[in-house]
Amino acid sequence: MDIRFFRTHSKLVEFIWPPLISEEILRALIKVQYYLEKEYGEGIKEIRKGYHTLSLRLQEDISEQDCQDLIEEFKRIPAEPQDEDAAKTWTIPVLYGGEFGKDLDQLAKIHKLKAEDVVQMHSENVYTLHFYGFLPGFMYLGGLNPHLYTKRKERPERLIPKGTVAIGGQQTGIYPQESPGGWYAIGSCPIPLFDIQKNPPVFARVGDLIRFKPIDLDTYRQIKEQVQQGNYKLKND
Amino acid sequence: MIKIPSYIHFTKPGLMTSIQDLGRFNLAQFGIPYSGAMDRYSLAQVNFLLQNKKGASVLEMANLGPEMVFERPTRIVFAGAEAEIIWNKKKNIKNGQILEIEEEDVIKIKNFKKGQWLYMGIQGGFETEEVAGSKSWYPNITPRDKIIKNDSICYLSEEERFYPSVEPKAKVRSDWYGNHQIHVYPGPEWHLLPHLLQNRILKKSFTISDLINRMAYQLKEEIANDLPQILTAPVYPGTVQLTPGGNLIILMRDAQVTGGYPRILQVDNFSLNVLSQKRAGDKIKFSIL
Repeated sequence: MDIRFFRTHSKLVEFIWPPLISEEILRALIKVQYYLEKEYGEGIKEIRKGYHTLSLRLQEDISEQDCQDLIEEFKRIPAEPQDEDAAKTWTIPVLYGGEFGKDLDQLAKIHKLKAEDVVQMHSENVYTLHFYGFLPGFMYLGGLNPHLYTKRKERPERLIPKGTVAIGGQQTGIYPQESPGGWYAIGSCPIPLFDIQKNPPVFARVGDLIRFKPIDLDTYRQIKEQVQQGNYKLKND
Repeated sequence: MIKIPSYIHFTKPGLMTSIQDLGRFNLAQFGIPYSGAMDRYSLAQVNFLLQNKKGASVLEMANLGPEMVFERPTRIVFAGAEAEIIWNKKKNIKNGQILEIEEEDVIKIKNFKKGQWLYMGIQGGFETEEVAGSKSWYPNITPRDKIIKNDSICYLSEEERFYPSVEPKAKVRSDWYGNHQIHVYPGPEWHLLPHLLQNRILKKSFTISDLINRMAYQLKEEIANDLPQILTAPVYPGTVQLTPGGNLIILMRDAQVTGGYPRILQVDNFSLNVLSQKRAGDKIKFSIL
């Protein structure tokens, strides 16, 4: 795979894969990130990911030649040991529509679909967690059914409630906290996704898989109650 | 040495008053911004003058400033923006002057004459919650994100000062941020801009709009462009984004960790302090390093 680099200055550089939202590229990014952390960890302050970009803030200076050489090194990294870092699949309960997903009908109308079809299309796919960004604990997920790609609203909403499951552009996501936003709210997730008091503050790791499971209002309320009592446990398989 | 937990009570909260230190690093992987003082140079100055630890937490203020009452003795000092600071009945308090605070002393911050952010350092820093390695306030990370009316913040009162002060009347200058030259590096999408637009951006003088906060400063002038949208990619404090609508948005300390607009420039670390002190209506010019 073709890898380029861009060196903003001697301590900030990014490596760039072809501009696609793809699982293959994500796996390549993760492999390179592990390699860099293992081999050059002390020279690196921080590694950040985008869909096809790995950005490095460095402790030590890096030259153009170093960047070139690194790309050659990346190509020689052996295939990753699978077992310990195997991706988990998390099932996230979602109450679709109603007051919690107030834009579901509108979104269905845009695509000339029934609300049930949108729910089915949204919950039958398995999504890949590419990285966290936008808000603390906000997951950038790849894998939305192209039929559901929806241009963001012209005017962003002033307040999207915490837990809202939404669609915007080619993406779907869950708001870990309330925030303004231009995405279409299609449902709500009763479990908290981010807790700064926990280490790590999120449950899923980059590269993990996410599945949405439709639930009814009663189940939604039950889960909320369990969460409040502190005995809800998110499952993965 | 006896240290007594004491409080500063805010009779007026001010508009954007918060506790900041150097920021919260290594959590960007979970989408958590760095945060930290908008002007790190002034933070360093107040902590140096008080012989605090380098990254001790300070009070960050903007126009409108707060009014506060101190419970017990301590020492404070100001740097950054030039504001009218009133200590009990004393006016004309200068930045850099170490104030020996007594019980029930009142500090009022009035008019900002120059600069955007004012810093108040306190001996030993503030005793507010440390979350994930930092005391910098940020919504949903720390319990509070700005001072509200009748709020209180804790510090440790020490009667004695067990070291001689560096200089009780050090002069802290503020001409360093008068410079309107902002040093930048080309960003990852700079080369997608036609030469003509690159030249315009480097020759033009830009005005800071009134859309300024801890997350970003937006510039007034628009640059019509047809840059392609990019897939969400990493951004940092100092990243200059160009939107399809032609707006230039300079990300500041509370910037989100990734963004979807082309990243045309990256502001140099020191220039980011200079930029942070610019106010709505001020002019800046980009110059490539």
